[in-house]
Amino acid sequence: MGKEYAVRRPDGAILYSSAGFDVSAVTDTALLSDGNELLICGTDSLAEENRDLLAQLEEAKAANIAKETFLSNMSHDIRTPMNAIIGMAALAKNHIDEKNRVIDALGKIETASGHLLSLINDVLDMSRINSGRMQIANESFLLSDLLHDTMTILRPQIAAKHHSYQLITQEITRERLIGDVLKLRQIYVNIINNSVKYTNDGGNITITVSEEIRGDRCLLIFVCEDNGIGMSREFLERIFDPFERVNSSTISKIEGTGLGMSIVKKMVDAMSGTIDVESELGEFTRIRIAIPLRYETEPLVIDALRDHRLLIIETDEKQKALFEEYLREALVSVTIVPDAPKAIDAITEASFRGEEKFRALILGKSHDGEGSVFQIASYFHSANPELPIILASDDNWEEIEYQANRSGIHTFIPLPFFRKSLLNSINHAVLGESDEDRSPYPQLAGKKILLVEDNMINREIAGELLSVTNAQVITAENGQEAVERYLSEEEGSLSLILMDIQMPVMDGYEAASKIRGSGRSDAGTIPIFAMTANTFAEDIAKAKAAGMNGHIGKPIDMNLLMQTLRLIET
Amino acid sequence: MQPYQEEYVRNLKEIADLRRFYRDGEPDFERWYQNRRECAARIRTLSRENNELLGRELFPALDGLFGADSALIADLEEFSDALMDWKTNLDIGVYVAIHDALLSLYRIRKSRNDIIRELYKLGMGLYYLRTFLTGVDDEESDALRIRNGMFFTEAASYLRYFEEIDDEATRGYIIRAFANIALCLKDYKSRINASSRTLRILRDEHYRELAPGLPWQAFLRATHQQMSTNRAGLSRGNLTTAELSEVLDSCHEVFKPEEQADNPSIRWLWPYYEMEYNCGYVNLKTTLDRMEELIAATKYDQYDMSGLYGNVQLAIYYGRFMRDNPSLREEEKRVRFLEFSYRKMLETMMTCPPELFNNYFVYTIASLISGFYEMEGGLSYREVMELLMQRYAGELYIRSRRTGEMMRVISAAVFDANPRFFDEIPQIGEISNPEIKREALLAYACDCGLFCDFGLLKMNFERTMQSRSLFENEYQMSCLHTVSGYDDLSRRASTATFADIALGHHAYYSGAGGYPKKYVRNTSPYRQMTDIAAVVSFLCDEWEKSPARDVSAMLPKETGRFSPVILSFVQDAGVSGQLLNILSGDDRPYYRTIHQKLFSLGNA
Repeated sequence: MGKEYAVRRPDGAILYSSAGFDVSAVTDTALLSDGNELLICGTDSLAEENRDLLAQLEEAKAANIAKETFLSNMSHDIRTPMNAIIGMAALAKNHIDEKNRVIDALGKIETASGHLLSLINDVLDMSRINSGRMQIANESFLLSDLLHDTMTILRPQIAAKHHSYQLITQEITRERLIGDVLKLRQIYVNIINNSVKYTNDGGNITITVSEEIRGDRCLLIFVCEDNGIGMSREFLERIFDPFERVNSSTISKIEGTGLGMSIVKKMVDAMSGTIDVESELGEFTRIRIAIPLRYETEPLVIDALRDHRLLIIETDEKQKALFEEYLREALVSVTIVPDAPKAIDAITEASFRGEEKFRALILGKSHDGEGSVFQIASYFHSANPELPIILASDDNWEEIEYQANRSGIHTFIPLPFFRKSLLNSINHAVLGESDEDRSPYPQLAGKKILLVEDNMINREIAGELLSVTNAQVITAENGQEAVERYLSEEEGSLSLILMDIQMPVMDGYEAASKIRGSGRSDAGTIPIFAMTANTFAEDIAKAKAAGMNGHIGKPIDMNLLMQTLRLIET
Repeated sequence: MQPYQEEYVRNLKEIADLRRFYRDGEPDFERWYQNRRECAARIRTLSRENNELLGRELFPALDGLFGADSALIADLEEFSDALMDWKTNLDIGVYVAIHDALLSLYRIRKSRNDIIRELYKLGMGLYYLRTFLTGVDDEESDALRIRNGMFFTEAASYLRYFEEIDDEATRGYIIRAFANIALCLKDYKSRINASSRTLRILRDEHYRELAPGLPWQAFLRATHQQMSTNRAGLSRGNLTTAELSEVLDSCHEVFKPEEQADNPSIRWLWPYYEMEYNCGYVNLKTTLDRMEELIAATKYDQYDMSGLYGNVQLAIYYGRFMRDNPSLREEEKRVRFLEFSYRKMLETMMTCPPELFNNYFVYTIASLISGFYEMEGGLSYREVMELLMQRYAGELYIRSRRTGEMMRVISAAVFDANPRFFDEIPQIGEISNPEIKREALLAYACDCGLFCDFGLLKMNFERTMQSRSLFENEYQMSCLHTVSGYDDLSRRASTATFADIALGHHAYYSGAGGYPKKYVRNTSPYRQMTDIAAVVSFLCDEWEKSPARDVSAMLPKETGRFSPVILSFVQDAGVSGQLLNILSGDDRPYYRTIHQKLFSLGNA
């Protein structure tokens, strides 16, 4: 027998019934969400089937309500920035000749577009999560890199609101972890970003990272605490619901999508982690996230640097303590000085006494005295080109890479560092697995350089200097020969031409022009650098007009030569 | 020295003489004008010869320095010494180039004593090169200062091996480098500590006994002088007792004997009074009274160092007191005295005989440009600076006047096509009457041209530019004239509206090139005028390199460098014709202005 059913109103009237429904044979009832009652009659199996159907109906209804709420919220959140974009675009158009108003409008359009983009990204994330398409990657990563990258993203916002922040890393023994580093970064950025936003200007944010080892897992514990506006108990109960935001007159409403915490929660859940939030309205917020991750045991070659001397410029007490602790454990002889003049003293002493030379100079987080790390590095590099210079900094490497390379900085250690990341970076810079790794010079094995120089001694010295790069060096003794040599080489096989200017037969300007005008596929792109003692500004301009990319002073300026070679290394 | 080196030095001296001569007094304009033209032509010839000498002889010598013999190196040393002494500094740029090359050579040869000497000499060269940047506070001038300090620091780091370095001259370089570190430090405390360390060493018998032939007393006095320059820091309140006593001690050593002399030099007397004021021994009133007495006692035509100090530096200091103490501006007596001292200062500056121009004079001009205090109702900065340009930078003045005329022509064409184009410039936008607005705009355009390269006046690259082509490092330094000009112009009400033009006239319209980075076109209400200055400045440069028959031929092919709106007007046949007329026209009217001004101030 099939199941039959009817829907009865609270006043007893039957709204609807199926054809075979018999009110005397009702086997089950259920209260519907609209207040009506569902009456079911039939066999047990039928009753079960009906109960299932009922549950599905309720689910569908709930989903429908969620969708409606979502759409209602979304329409508001999307419409708000869209209004700004459309309105400001119109305003800009109406005042096209008033540059200040146009600039102001463009700035507002930029802000609103950025917000809209983050909203869309969050919605896509949510959609991915809700549809079960979120995948958790398992890749190996360094905890120090994760923390460095996270703080690099957030530092501008922290600085803009004049907050002070502290990143405390407690004893970390498992530095290389396995997990989804991108999602971890997204979680941490989201949490810290909320602290930045919901703390009034000049607040304090403390981030603590620690670990607990549980068998083959490392529980990575991240705690972010601020002295911001906090949250009410009621809000805390809804904190992970989509579109929930703290309301505060001091916080601009447009700052968040209201999806961040919801996404964080789902990501943490997906990684089998836990998230706990404590907060007191007007006092503080403390969020603790613990995520179990697998780890890799990296070999630490503790003896490799034994007895080597390292010179460090650092005044930050915490960093000094870490350098001393980690490097002395590795039996490295460490000299830490507060400023560049003291470092010069130390190098002079080593050289004068014929002592073992310093194997590297590390420029730390802060130093006394004047000058940027790049100015300091540049001087040390020109005075001691064989000394590898390592920069330990919380700067974003991508932003400083060009300047750092041009200053002779050989290796970058992102802050914060841990024992292994520090030792391995220094090992790599100082000892390396190969000659190339440990060379402070750019490595150009497989690259071919054409050296054009009429003076035999200069040719020999330049050849000697270039040999440290492992590049293949071919030579020409005048401009004419250089052009012939260039044409005789296979197209694209030369990586650089170093061109003397004053030469017999044909000078460097003419040779460069002929090479550029040769019509070969690499004629326009091959870097040509003038090597000349003639540094008249107009002659440098003439070299550029002849198609050269730059110049290196003579007698050969090692610093500039290496800077130039670094350009082709990368 | 080799013949080419002797010839180069001879040429530089002749150029210096010619530069003096063509500023000389000659009441008849035509004769004066012809003299100037002849001198200028001779200077151009000598400058070309200098470029050839360096290109033919010096650069190949530096090219082949690794293989050079000791005779060639000794000649280079002698040549460089002839190029630099503290009074004339004939050519600091070549001095630096030679010692930079020698340092590279000795580093390769690992020759310790030579490295120490070259570090010291290169440090000194950079120190003097930095004087071109006096008063320029910028990231790049800081970088040069820090690099300068590193050379002295490296040479000084050998002090601990003083006993083991068996050469008295090298020991002397180490001591001097140690002392000169203070020249490269920015804040008072660091400088005081550096000089204090030097004094301890100079007083230490141990070092004296090791190098008895060194002029220890002279070193000691120079270091006390160095220390005493920190006297302004005495009033800052952040010095420790030890630092205070060090500075006071040095001031006492340097100034007290002068103060007690029968006829004390004002150069030593005022610093002593200043020290007493900064320490709180005497009050502001007494200090100003003393100052007034010193200024009044210095004759306007006393042109030696004491005279320049009394007439110019003290007037600047007086103005600084007025600036920093608003209540003084309410005292009529002080206000009148400021006006008197400024007028006297101007008289001195405008009548100083050309043969007395030296490094101290150049420094005095730079101090005046940086330190002039413009008080409402008094002498305006604009007026004084225009006179300085006419007197000390004639070529710059004439070029600037031309620039102004050309900017006027372009501004007129743009205004006639679109009278609202310049409305964002506050003082133009607020004028409603179109005719008055047009006149005001054209006058403003002329003034912008006059002041757009103003920064060059303080940097004093004119002498180098007349002696030979600039080296790349000098050229990069000269680019800071934009920042320097902006800083000085923006701080005074009479010139503030020209500041953005001075800052931005070498920046690209697109923002993708040019200099300085500090100029942000979109936020400047003066950007339309800066756009015009950029094109005109470029055209003037091109014209000086090689005059062309039409303006379009001189403009670059690249896009984004100049405002397309301004370019379209510049390329208009009528406008470009007028621009060419100005470029190629008679320069007598400009020279006549200079001549009249000089003689109206009694230069004859």
